[in-house]
Amino acid sequence: MDILINLGHGFLQVLEPANLLVLFIGLVLGMLVAVLPGLTLVMGVVLALPFTYSMGLLPAIILLTAMYVSGTYGGAFTAILFRIPGEPIDVPLLWDGYAMARQGMPAKALGWTLFAALGGGLIAASVMVLLSGPVARFALTFSSPEYFAIILFGLSSVVSLGGGSITNAFISLFLGLFIATVGVDSIYGAERFAFGVPFLQDGIEYLLVMVGAYGLGEVFTRLEKGFASQEQNADTGRDIRTELPTLAEIGKLKTTFLRSSVIGILVGIVPGAGATVASFVAYGAEGQYGKRRAELGSGIAEGIVAPQTAATSSVGGALIPLLTMGIPGSGATAIILGAFMLHGVQPGPQVFVTSGPLVYAIFASLFASIIGMCIMGYFAIKMLVKVLDMPEAVVSAFVVLFCFIGAFAARNNLSDLYVITAFGILGYLFEKFRFPIAPMVLGAILGPLAESSFMTMMVSYSNDWTVLIGRPVSAVLMVMAVVALVYPIQRQLRERIAQRKA
Amino acid sequence: MLNRLLRAAPYIALQLAAMYFHQLAGHIDYPATPGRIGPDFWPKSILVLLGLVCIYEIIKNLLIGETFSAAGLLDDLMKDSPADPDAVRLPNRPWLLASGMLLTVAYVAGIDKLGFFLATGAYLALFMVIGRYRNWVVIAAASLLGSLLLLFVFMKLVYISLPLGIEPFSSVSLMLLSIMGVH
Repeated sequence: MDILINLGHGFLQVLEPANLLVLFIGLVLGMLVAVLPGLTLVMGVVLALPFTYSMGLLPAIILLTAMYVSGTYGGAFTAILFRIPGEPIDVPLLWDGYAMARQGMPAKALGWTLFAALGGGLIAASVMVLLSGPVARFALTFSSPEYFAIILFGLSSVVSLGGGSITNAFISLFLGLFIATVGVDSIYGAERFAFGVPFLQDGIEYLLVMVGAYGLGEVFTRLEKGFASQEQNADTGRDIRTELPTLAEIGKLKTTFLRSSVIGILVGIVPGAGATVASFVAYGAEGQYGKRRAELGSGIAEGIVAPQTAATSSVGGALIPLLTMGIPGSGATAIILGAFMLHGVQPGPQVFVTSGPLVYAIFASLFASIIGMCIMGYFAIKMLVKVLDMPEAVVSAFVVLFCFIGAFAARNNLSDLYVITAFGILGYLFEKFRFPIAPMVLGAILGPLAESSFMTMMVSYSNDWTVLIGRPVSAVLMVMAVVALVYPIQRQLRERIAQRKA
Repeated sequence: MLNRLLRAAPYIALQLAAMYFHQLAGHIDYPATPGRIGPDFWPKSILVLLGLVCIYEIIKNLLIGETFSAAGLLDDLMKDSPADPDAVRLPNRPWLLASGMLLTVAYVAGIDKLGFFLATGAYLALFMVIGRYRNWVVIAAASLLGSLLLLFVFMKLVYISLPLGIEPFSSVSLMLLSIMGVH
């Protein structure tokens, strides 16, 4: 009952005109970045960050969360209608969504997407509201070994769940962790790898790594291809509308819907995974366990509902570790964490005690965002897809500028522009040589947390690292971290041996 | 052999860098406390792990000539997904990339002297041209109005102090700011 009352108060805050306006802007921006092929969801949220500096904390979080959630939905339109996945999240929608559209049912395909985003999003938001309190109370019992084990699990997940080779992912992760050590360390005050350069003494902000590697790196990669997506010639002038599924049709897909919601929430909770992994895992699960698995890929509703439900529900899942433990599990939540910290609030187990009304307002804003994005998706698709007509070279030029302004605004330091350019080139090289970027970024974000919890643990337990396997919660997390790393390697080695034998 | 060496090259470079920084970490200056690990322990551990992965890749690529790599779950899932029949492999255009990178470095180096408005206007226009866009009206309008709008939004609304440049370029920035009512 308390939860409902608090949530009600949260809704009252969100429904204030200024917050509602920010939410609307966030939804529009999230959809636009998801639709535009040159912009990714994480990039979009990064680029919006400097605009939040002069806002209060609540509108800032509302803006970024609205962008995050609508970014998991907007790209579906272009994937289904024009075979242009605005985001990697939307790639599974090409297989059945576009196929259904080709069979003359684009409106139906869009209707299934809307239903999946709305249903999956609302279920995940409800789970988030119900779970966050108990998780925060449980997290209050955590000490440094548990925190270190959680971070280690998150880092091993990003290595094993992401794309690219696992050894390259490890290298990327270690580089990210190493980058986080540059500057004056927080315990001894010793200068590390700064070479006496003032801006290096302050450390390398993870936002610079993110903006450079994701934003600038992606622009450079697309520039090398000559911004070829401007030649895709999508027919944005055609009749575009949404036809919602009937209740009877929805009833037939309830298992797919529930399974994908659970997958989305769980994948969202795991630090290191995100909407893209959720979308692919849910599609894969449908291929394994779905009633019509043999028809998957031919344009059936299950192939649309599974990835879209999981992608949107991963947002609610990802906000749980962020709010209750202060651990960002994905690029977008890392930026939201950055916005919290810029306003002097540290999310974590204490957040319900210190900022309860704020947390419930954030919860309410997620519900409002999900409903708002679906209304917008239903009525404004035709206008949204028009942005595909914008030349990619023009959009990309502005993306680079927003990257620079965002980086500059954080510390008002022109040297940061050199750092971001360097990470942009590094991001391009990573793409080129197939090193995944996400582990490096997550390493740079979680590195300071990992180091401080490790050092505290070593001091508190007289340099005895076996405490990690001596305490139940940390032991379970350590086992999960090992399994996360060993399982994909073992699976592929087994496949390879079988192939050789054949 | 050359192919093997090329495949191993990034790992050799990273291994050398890891060794260099590991050696630097040994010289971190701090007030040591008996029985406690120092600020060098964490970076050294990371660099050792980085070095070990690089050694594994160097042996695999250079000495054994093995190309197999275990992939993450996402790659594994995508491997089984239906192929896109209409997918087109686009050619690389290294000159565009090099020009774009050089322009970006020049922008970063020049913004302090030219000021935000002039440097940004020029950067936007040149980047669009490098990106093979040739609608000159749009280029002129987007770069001029874009840099003006950004100047207005960030200086007037978001209160971010953008570089004004040095004389004579700063007079342009100051004139625009006074027109916008920014003091």
